[in-house]
Amino acid sequence: MAPEPPAINPESKHWASYPRFLLRAVSAATDGSFLFYAWMTALTAVFLVGVNAWAHQVTGGMVNTNMSDHVSWGLYIANFTFMVGVAAGGVMMVIPAYLYKDKRMQDVVIIGELLAIAAVAACMLFVMADLGRPDRFWHMLPGIGRFNFPMSMLTWDVLVLNGYLLINLHVVGYLLYTRFLGKEPNPRWYKPFVMLSIVWAISIHTVTAFLYCGLGGRPFWNSALLAPRFLASAFVSGPAFIILTMLVLQRFAGMPKPDKPIGTLVKIVRVTILVNLLMVVSELFTEFYAGGAHTASARYLFLGHGEANALVPWIWTAVVLNIVAAITFLKPGLTERKGLLVLACVFAFTGAWIEKGMGLIIPGFIPSTLHEYVEYLPSHLEWRVSAGVIAFGLLVYSAALKVAIPIFRGTMRDRPPTEPDKATTVN
Amino acid sequence: MTDAAPTPPSPPAATGVSRRRMVKALGATLGAAAFGTAISPLFRGSELNADELMQRHYKELSAADKQTVLRRLEAEAKEASGRDVTIKDAQPRPKTKFVYAINLSVCNGNGNCVEACHKENNHDRDSNQSYIRVLEMPKGTMDMEKGNTTYTGAVPQKDKFYMPVQCQQCDEPPCVDVCPVQATWKEKDGIVVVDYNWCIGCRYCMAACPYHARRFNWEKPNVPAAEVNPNQGYLSNRVRPQGVVEKCHFCLHRTREGKLPACLEACPTGARVFGNILDPKSNIRWILENKRVYVLKEELGTKPSFFYFFDK
Amino acid sequence: MEAIANVSRVWRRSLLGFALAVVLPLVTGCGDAEPPSPAARPTPLAAKLPVHTRAVPGVPHILVDAGGQATKLACSTCHSMKQAVPTQRGGSGLRLFHQGLEVAHGNLTCLSCHNPDDYDALRLADGRRVPFERVMDLCAQCHGPQARDYAHGAHGGMSGYWDRTRGTQVRNQCTHCHAPHAPAYPTMRPTFKPRDRFLPVRSESHDD
Repeated sequence: MAPEPPAINPESKHWASYPRFLLRAVSAATDGSFLFYAWMTALTAVFLVGVNAWAHQVTGGMVNTNMSDHVSWGLYIANFTFMVGVAAGGVMMVIPAYLYKDKRMQDVVIIGELLAIAAVAACMLFVMADLGRPDRFWHMLPGIGRFNFPMSMLTWDVLVLNGYLLINLHVVGYLLYTRFLGKEPNPRWYKPFVMLSIVWAISIHTVTAFLYCGLGGRPFWNSALLAPRFLASAFVSGPAFIILTMLVLQRFAGMPKPDKPIGTLVKIVRVTILVNLLMVVSELFTEFYAGGAHTASARYLFLGHGEANALVPWIWTAVVLNIVAAITFLKPGLTERKGLLVLACVFAFTGAWIEKGMGLIIPGFIPSTLHEYVEYLPSHLEWRVSAGVIAFGLLVYSAALKVAIPIFRGTMRDRPPTEPDKATTVN
Repeated sequence: MTDAAPTPPSPPAATGVSRRRMVKALGATLGAAAFGTAISPLFRGSELNADELMQRHYKELSAADKQTVLRRLEAEAKEASGRDVTIKDAQPRPKTKFVYAINLSVCNGNGNCVEACHKENNHDRDSNQSYIRVLEMPKGTMDMEKGNTTYTGAVPQKDKFYMPVQCQQCDEPPCVDVCPVQATWKEKDGIVVVDYNWCIGCRYCMAACPYHARRFNWEKPNVPAAEVNPNQGYLSNRVRPQGVVEKCHFCLHRTREGKLPACLEACPTGARVFGNILDPKSNIRWILENKRVYVLKEELGTKPSFFYFFDK
Repeated sequence: MEAIANVSRVWRRSLLGFALAVVLPLVTGCGDAEPPSPAARPTPLAAKLPVHTRAVPGVPHILVDAGGQATKLACSTCHSMKQAVPTQRGGSGLRLFHQGLEVAHGNLTCLSCHNPDDYDALRLADGRRVPFERVMDLCAQCHGPQARDYAHGAHGGMSGYWDRTRGTQVRNQCTHCHAPHAPAYPTMRPTFKPRDRFLPVRSESHDD
């Protein structure tokens, strides 16, 4: 990392240096190697495909999706739920860094915060994509529309997600800006917000779980264990993704070997993935041992119902992925074996994605509340829109990392406006 | 002021910078153009108009606003179908709470109510949409999983009974609680309504409803002009916009004028009973006082205003 | 409407025995907009606007082709000259106009309802004469629970207004839906089924 920066010129004025910071950030985010350009162009292309698909959905109606009056939420809300978990899990970096004052983690904590920002942005787009009338989005704005707070859990979710976004933007922005100025960040201006973001991370996922488990008419969701389960799997998917990010950055962006933080994250995932499995097993035990009409969804999900068994391959894939990942994470010295680590992280991430996405949202609707078995698999359009949203999230994440890493490594520093721009950034 | 950064690598050549700038500018232009192309379907054949976009919530409309809105909707309906329709805004009557009951000993599953609802409420023709679903259930169980809505052939079958389900107009409606924008609410006469011009189409209410009572307009409903029921209500059977949720409203454009709901009139077996439960002499009151009635999914605490009973 | 047509079909079937006949220009088939008949049964729900109970036909007649000319004959025309058969149950053995009459109404004899002293009317169990227009009084003797439910609007279809301070409620009588000789409600065929996307049809037609 960068050496301790000398004190900045005290005459430096924020009104002048902050726009410089933004300008340099934009410049850094759009500058890079061929590989970087290729990656960003590909993401942009996918994003545009998604935008186009969404435009068709808005114009032609959601009949272009495979959702129905029976399964009224689909891939979008499934992805939304999962991405909230990723956002919450991103902050898992923060707990060891600040609660346990782990110095090595503090250097990479920014990655987690940026992941949180990108994931929340993707969440919001998924919600937008799911709206039948996005043109009436303003009806949900407090003060302007009619915000059904506190009755509707969805309004809570809007508040906590936006709050989470703001908190993380503030922490990240503040840390980056002070580093950019070459100053040591003042803990007064970020520590309280970091602590708040930890609590808030738990709240966003709890509230998202409450969206579902508060519905008495959907026995599959109506379980007190849903929120803890969400948190446990969030603390699998978030750290798993951060580990992957760090490995990619090490490989392509010349980041130093991040063994220490990765070791900490592996320790976290090792526990959370088992906790998550334990909770899933507890849920399944109560469902299958007791039996009865309330367990119809679980039976449909795992065993199918006659001809209707579209989700069976999905959930068993998730089961296998989760178990393999759980076992792999138990392996000592996993941090050293990069190939295996990547595999374990990909498995854990994908397993959580299925389990909490398609494996949780869809069976809540099957059988329907009149106990009709109407199946759902996403349409091509839904896949396109979802890919576009994910691409957007990755775009935000990549651009933000592109700015953050050189600042944190000290290769991007503020200079008086008179001097020519001499710094370059990684890549 | 000193440069705090470690020795920077040599600055890129001037030509490199300008080429890079050009590439960036080109990329940005191409990106913007591609984005414009990508969203262009939004502006093709869009029916959005500013009045509709800016329309306030039903409860915030003054009497004059309402008239403006109703006339605008009538004009739009005329433009769309060529038919003259009247869109009224019937208000709840004082001392009225509507309650419905169905005699399952008598209902034979003929489905005339389903069709009457379809026609009365200007439902989409392609999907045979209706607010009512009739379950054919084996005698000897109340487990809806054993039910079937796609039965055909002669009814009633000896070993079956038939249970029509529609909005139960709950006194504790979960759908109303979850709506993030208050686009659905319970009126004074007990009817749960939707402001089709306020709903954002998030479909949370559909997830919350335990009775499969809500329907979504996955596309613009298709109702041939000749078949449009011109007697319409703002909160009831006017042809719905695309992308919003709708539900049974006890035919409020009829019932608030004292008439019976369309599904009841269509019932050839007389299984349906409707009335004002606050009137001690009403039919519905007599049923509740003298028949052993039950409600669907009572354990959920939704307190339906919709009852079922058997004669024998 | 379709259901009513259905019912009238049953009516017709049960009356096939009446040679040339369609008894009564079937009020059952139309009869939507007729004025309240004076014969309408007084109803206990009289407080507000009167309930309009759809009239049932009065004295049945038979159209006979008498030498190329349609002639209306009352029941009594023949029956006044014939001896009543008190033990006659069901339709078997009936001749002439009643040949093939489908009877499926408990263990009743013809004279349980028809009045041997005056075939242009019916009779109650205690022998009192009751005109055809008040057939509900006759039915109510055995079908008490139904009559009670009917009186409270819980049996028999209706149309018009639930709020009788604002409009007339139109009620059926027993024989609008139940054929008197075979009163079981006919089976029907649902013609309008949901056509939801992705909704699998769980069973084939029951009877085909």
